[in-house]
Amino acid sequence: MRMDRVRVWLMNLYPRAWRERYAAEFDVLLEQCLHSPLDAVDVFLGAVDAHLQLLNGEDLTWRMMNMLNKLRTTILLVFTAFIGFIVAGFSLVGLADDSPMIPLMKTNPALAAAWTTIQIGSVVALLAVLIGGLPLALTVVRQALAGDRRGMGLLLVPGFSFLVVVLYLGFVLLVGSGRIQIPGVVRVVQPGFFPAGNRLMLEGLMLVFILGAIASTLAVWKAISRTDTEHETFHAVGRNLTVRIYSFAFVLAVITTLAMLVMLVATVVWGWLSFSALPQVFTGNFGPWGTSTQAWFISIIVVMAVCTAMAFFGLRRGRPRQTGN
Amino acid sequence: MDTLDFGRFSDPALLILTSLAGGEKHGYAMMEDIKAISGVRLGPGTLYGALSRLEQSGLIEALPADERRRPYKLTSRGNTYLRQTLSSLSNFVSLGLQRLEA
Repeated sequence: MRMDRVRVWLMNLYPRAWRERYAAEFDVLLEQCLHSPLDAVDVFLGAVDAHLQLLNGEDLTWRMMNMLNKLRTTILLVFTAFIGFIVAGFSLVGLADDSPMIPLMKTNPALAAAWTTIQIGSVVALLAVLIGGLPLALTVVRQALAGDRRGMGLLLVPGFSFLVVVLYLGFVLLVGSGRIQIPGVVRVVQPGFFPAGNRLMLEGLMLVFILGAIASTLAVWKAISRTDTEHETFHAVGRNLTVRIYSFAFVLAVITTLAMLVMLVATVVWGWLSFSALPQVFTGNFGPWGTSTQAWFISIIVVMAVCTAMAFFGLRRGRPRQTGN
Repeated sequence: MDTLDFGRFSDPALLILTSLAGGEKHGYAMMEDIKAISGVRLGPGTLYGALSRLEQSGLIEALPADERRRPYKLTSRGNTYLRQTLSSLSNFVSLGLQRLEA
């Protein structure tokens, strides 16, 4: 039993492209001859060599599989960065809501322009993710219908997470309107008001949102990791359309990343203008649960910057390269 | 063909080609055969490192899998390469022996 685990672990050290070609037969060989720690070291060195061979190899199939793996990792890194950016973005909205910055935006055109840029950037990034992810999602659904039902379940996770957030918001609104009262658990609030001061409910909303984001990201990672097709043909309005799904998603990932960069810059500008116009707000406590506005804003900027850097790193890793031939 | 370089897998590659010169074999059979003819026990990682290189170079080819085992055989290119390499080695061995006897 222990040797089986070692065998599986060693096998997983090999690059995916190598495993797809040799895993079945290599596993049989390991079953028969993996007896000593020296054998395990030999297999370990073989895995290192396979990675080097894949990077420097001349074999076209291997190179293509390697490129597909890189593209897939890029898409998933940009998607994860986007989700992280969304979480930071919602925190920014929460910070601005009910603060004196909202009325200030009506009289300060530069501040309003920065906020509008953030909003436009968020729409562009969201559309890019949806459009780029659509062929991938359709491919996962197609493969799920062909027999791999688990892929379908994984794709349902983001929708389910969204539903949970909506249901929780509905619950919060019902509490806010006084239709639901849970004495001792949820503080009864004045009807007609969002229970902004109810720490338990706000923490719950944040928890549900973040857990949903994490679950969705993990599910998408898992679902996409199982998809090894680059060319996929779709039937639409009586025509066949062949899409290079990962290459297509890469282009949209570039747009998403640029939109994140624009939003990051616009957020810094918006914060700077707000700070200049209303320094007392930034030195005050308009963060969630009365925490420091300045600390929250800096945290939001840091998260956005890290996510943007992560997306650029992903793009750099997966960019198509000239072979020189 | 003379420029083929298998790096640290040169010796295992030659052992595998020699083993396959005696007929098609899968991984474990190759290991046993190589041990019998040369006294060398190739580790599984070394064996498949050399096998994948030989396959990519077109010196050996995979046959349809027999259950989960996949046998390999020498290609005509592999046959020529092995013949050339063994001839060079043979000349080298002869030269070395001549010098020892001189």
